[in-house]
Amino acid sequence: MNRKSLALSRWLQERIPVSGEQLRELTNEPVPHHLKRWWFALGGTPAYLFVVLIATGISLAIYYQPAPTTAYESVRYITEEAAFGWFIRGLHKWAATLMIASVILHQMRVYFTGAYRKPRELNWMVGMAMLMTTLMLGFTGYSLVYEQLSFWGATVGANMAGSMPVVGGLLKQLMLGGAEYNARTLSRFFVLHAAALPVLLVLLIGVHISLIRLQGITEFEFEGEEPPKKHFNFFPDHLMTELMIGLVLMVVLSVLATVLPATLGPPADPLTTPEVIKPEWFFYVAFRWLKLFSGTFALLSTGFVVFIMFVWPFIDAWVRRRTRYAEASVWIGIVAVLAILGLTVWEALVAH
Amino acid sequence: MNLNQKRLIIAGLAVLFLLSLVLVQWMEVIRRQQEAGVGKPHVAVPASSRACVDCHGETTPGVIDHWKGSKHAVSGVSCFECHQAEDGDVDGFSHFGSQIATVVTPMDCGRCHGEVAEEFQRSHHAKAGNILASLDNFLAETVEGARQPFNPHSPTPGKAVDKVNGTASAFSGCQQCHGSAVSLRSTDGGRLSMVDFQPDENGKPTVTEAVARILRDDNGKPLFDSGTWPNTGIGRLNLDGSRGSCSACHSRHDFSPRRARQPENCGKCHLGPDHPQKEIFEESKHGVAYRDLKEDMNLEAEDWVLGEDYSQAPTCATCHLSGHSRNGGKITHDPGQRISWTNRPPISLVMDTDAEGKIVKSLDPAERESLITDTAEAKRNRMKAVCTHCHTPSYVNAFYSQYDDLVILYNEKFAKPGKAIMGVLQAQGLLTPTQFDEQIEWTWFYLWHHEGRRARHGASMMAPDYTHWHGMYEVAERFYMELIPEAREIAMEARAHGKANAAQAAEAVINGILARPEHAWFEEGAEGEMRAIRKQMEERYGQGSNPSGAGG
Repeated sequence: MNRKSLALSRWLQERIPVSGEQLRELTNEPVPHHLKRWWFALGGTPAYLFVVLIATGISLAIYYQPAPTTAYESVRYITEEAAFGWFIRGLHKWAATLMIASVILHQMRVYFTGAYRKPRELNWMVGMAMLMTTLMLGFTGYSLVYEQLSFWGATVGANMAGSMPVVGGLLKQLMLGGAEYNARTLSRFFVLHAAALPVLLVLLIGVHISLIRLQGITEFEFEGEEPPKKHFNFFPDHLMTELMIGLVLMVVLSVLATVLPATLGPPADPLTTPEVIKPEWFFYVAFRWLKLFSGTFALLSTGFVVFIMFVWPFIDAWVRRRTRYAEASVWIGIVAVLAILGLTVWEALVAH
Repeated sequence: MNLNQKRLIIAGLAVLFLLSLVLVQWMEVIRRQQEAGVGKPHVAVPASSRACVDCHGETTPGVIDHWKGSKHAVSGVSCFECHQAEDGDVDGFSHFGSQIATVVTPMDCGRCHGEVAEEFQRSHHAKAGNILASLDNFLAETVEGARQPFNPHSPTPGKAVDKVNGTASAFSGCQQCHGSAVSLRSTDGGRLSMVDFQPDENGKPTVTEAVARILRDDNGKPLFDSGTWPNTGIGRLNLDGSRGSCSACHSRHDFSPRRARQPENCGKCHLGPDHPQKEIFEESKHGVAYRDLKEDMNLEAEDWVLGEDYSQAPTCATCHLSGHSRNGGKITHDPGQRISWTNRPPISLVMDTDAEGKIVKSLDPAERESLITDTAEAKRNRMKAVCTHCHTPSYVNAFYSQYDDLVILYNEKFAKPGKAIMGVLQAQGLLTPTQFDEQIEWTWFYLWHHEGRRARHGASMMAPDYTHWHGMYEVAERFYMELIPEAREIAMEARAHGKANAAQAAEAVINGILARPEHAWFEEGAEGEMRAIRKQMEERYGQGSNPSGAGG
């Protein structure tokens, strides 16, 4: 190191009193060897996509105008006229789709490997909160387009919330900013989508990662594999893995945004109900469920399922303690995944 | 995987990502070029039409080149999508393995543009062929031509002419605007149109005997009657029973919206001595502004909404068809939706229409109310919604007041009297039942069909010279200097040939008309009127104004 860079290093040390050693220790946590397997790196994927969503979302917010008279036109302007607007919107749409998909995959991996068990129950619950926040971001984001389907999707969503016992009326009132969809509803969705929910998600990500760091990553051993060493370095080895995943994602997003760009349907018409109302694909499962049963039962049962998902680590522990079926969770998981897939495919295939 | 391998993969992926960004940049450049009207849009040829495009690219390159410039070409709508025929279509034939038809009708276009085709079917445009049972038809087929072919009377050097086609004027003239009844040649030498096939609602023929008589070439292709096809008249009667021709306005094969928006497009038919709408528009301030500002009018725009995409000047399409900011940009394919007077008949009529779009002529208020489904007032309000993009409501209302006054003046002073005179001459047997065999019939035709319309159309679209010199001036001259003297002469002739009663009845009508205050100047002189006008002008412009007495 020459004299100039030494002087600069000293100058920085005086103002930011963190030593290189400390920094290395902070960032270079030993990573369990099983993370060399790709599917264990799915947790970083949604985080990466979230960064892409923030960047593209800020770009979109420059042109987006959240009012019924201007929303659709501003989205049309972004899609058809603004320089690279179609690309940015395409990236945003596909990053959101992939983020939800990767969150679900990450959660499935955690579930089936039992990584939520003691002492990580709370982090599972934080993860569940992140899933709910992500879904709400998807719902509010799609509503902002203000095309016919997104408007009616939001209206149906609000009506569903409204039919919940006791709190339904208040919830719907809070969502719409009035008894019905009105001139102020869009700005409410916009604030939720572009400010409140992202901040909440950042906080949850902070808690999630802190808990991972505090508890360490779950360690796995695989049959027939003699681990030559149990850990490898985060920097640069795991970082490079993450970088590779990030670059693959970026290429995939770029291709999706150009080959299957975000489209724009007819503008919202509050006076004409479309023949077919469909939410975004990630709500197909709930939508199909709601169509199968009466409103209140369907809602309460959906709420119950979500509650069970939240507290699953404790239920699982109880089952493991009390019964001989230690791995019952795997079978329950398989049934749940098949049910979710079945309902989603069913909803996708039928017109009504 | 060791670190070096990872580094290599990362480098490869980074290059791939950069390449994807280059692709994005390339797409953006192409998009910008297309928006700016430079650069060629991507043409998508569906598999169903690939062979057509390849072969016709050689045999009729103009058609393919034209199509390549269309929105259809970019959207993957190609030859077969429009020309496809189904089994049972009378004009369908197998062409290199594809069942196709030559003529594309509104029913065909309606496969994709259903709502537009339906609206067009209801329009006055689609019914333009109905006038072909009128005086105009008699003129073309009998007066100008002959209903039957006849022999030539001397040889034509260099051309063997064995028969003269007496309907040539009707086919090349009237029907190219109003539309022919597209016909196939029959094995018995005649022609077969929709009247013979009586197609059902799906366009399929119901008279199998007529289908059996279709004359086909060696390849099984039905042969068209050359008088009725080619034809893009807007009121064409098609073999599938649909009316009209979309390509009358949306010229094939590029179907350019830009062209359809320009007055020159309408000018194929809306011009000439009897309805010079194109020339009237050109003379008006609207036309003057259009010529000057055409390049700024965003004629390439996707929707071309007045008040959003442009507002420099109107074209025919702007006022009569296109969408505007006050109706949500909704285009109509029925120009009658915004027209409050019809100036086509000898006496203008108010466009109160019934459920079938016919004008309600009843004078009984209760009956009118029960029959009218769309009032002239509603139609006018639709037009006013266009006008008020550039003019204040009071300005627009005052314009309509001027227009109404001119139409009513023409109706009351010349049209109704002219019709009454012609009526009494016919009723008294002083004219033969045959039209155009007597001079007064030509005189009357010129008065209302040419000059009267020019005056009314001129006022409707703010062309003062057409309203006055090409219009009311010529109407007046024709009325006083030709119609009245000719009617009087017919009455005198009748009296001389012992038809005193008929002569008296005709003279009573003529004299009654001329005794009205508005015609009094003609019989009684109008020196006082002249003095009054001179005095008024001197008060307005000062003593000695216009000493030469010349005007115009």
